[in-house]
Amino acid sequence: MNLRQQLIQGLNIAMVVCSAFMFWKGLALVTGSSSPIVVVLSGSMEPAFQRGDILFLWNRNQYVDVGDIVVYNIKEKEIPIVHRVMREHKVIPEVKTKKRSARSKKPVHEPGKVRQLLLTKGDNNPTDDLPLYAYGQTYLDREDDIVGKVMGYIPKLGYVTILITENVYFKYALLGLLGLSTLLQKE
Amino acid sequence: MFSALQRFQGISSNVITAAIWISLFVALSSYAQLYLNEFRSLPAVIDHVKAVTTLKYSRGFGSRNREPKENSRIAFDLTADISDLFNWNTKQVFVYLTAEYEGQPSIPANKVTFWNKIITKKEDAVLNLQKERSSFSVWDVEDSFRQRNASLKLEWNIQPHVGLLLWGENKGSYELTFPEVKGSSSAST
Repeated sequence: MNLRQQLIQGLNIAMVVCSAFMFWKGLALVTGSSSPIVVVLSGSMEPAFQRGDILFLWNRNQYVDVGDIVVYNIKEKEIPIVHRVMREHKVIPEVKTKKRSARSKKPVHEPGKVRQLLLTKGDNNPTDDLPLYAYGQTYLDREDDIVGKVMGYIPKLGYVTILITENVYFKYALLGLLGLSTLLQKE
Repeated sequence: MFSALQRFQGISSNVITAAIWISLFVALSSYAQLYLNEFRSLPAVIDHVKAVTTLKYSRGFGSRNREPKENSRIAFDLTADISDLFNWNTKQVFVYLTAEYEGQPSIPANKVTFWNKIITKKEDAVLNLQKERSSFSVWDVEDSFRQRNASLKLEWNIQPHVGLLLWGENKGSYELTFPEVKGSSSAST
């Protein structure tokens, strides 16, 4: 194997990585969601979603509806949560005259613009998500917290990513196999 | 080694292509069947709704700093047949009873869920409930929402085995006025 062949192989691998990244970012652009495809990690929405199911999100609607299944983020918690919207309240925030403290990290909301407040619950959980929210938070905000609404569903296919992230041996076995196959591959 | 690897690649790509086409066919044919059944115009009869408003003082019922928070519970009769929502691609149907009402001018629209049920079998899809009690105690974003007029509706969400999720509602609604707080002196007016 000469140097030219190895360089071409390296280029091919870079192409694959780049096109995957482009596909992901393009999808994010089309759906308006920062992470348009998610894998279910917990059983809190069973029997609708099990661990390892793949969900496709859409985030271009101004409001979400009661009954919609949404993915949301909680401040200072890393893992996004997939639960169902149980209540919505459309609220027009008052104009605040009080000066905001510089330490407050809360986002500033435009006065007079309708904001949608949401309460969520996992189908398989006995109570709503209040204990999951940040300290002092009583509702989710459509604009600030929602990553997207679940539109499409493929069962089980995402279990590979759970294996990779949670099982070290599987991760190294897969990496080793990939490396081996690129070394052995010939044009 | 070399040919075995190639063979494995060939077979797996064939399997993946076949799986994509089969799931596409399953999903599309199930939507066609649902539309042929006119699944968006199923009736529901909601009747004999009795609502109770109470004051709650704990965080689990929406109260903050021990301030009283109005909570509402209902009991209702429901007759609906949603077995037309079930076919070969239906994993479950999530049915839920919602109430829509207006608040103060600064809170133009509210919608809350009083009751829900997960149905996984077609045999369980004929709902004939008497004096069914709401699944949750519901509070509003404001402290008080008594004397508001709400419209109750039965809605559903179809969860498929593969494909797109579908949402819709049954025809028929019930107008409800949230009552005064139970046991309060002003309730007699």
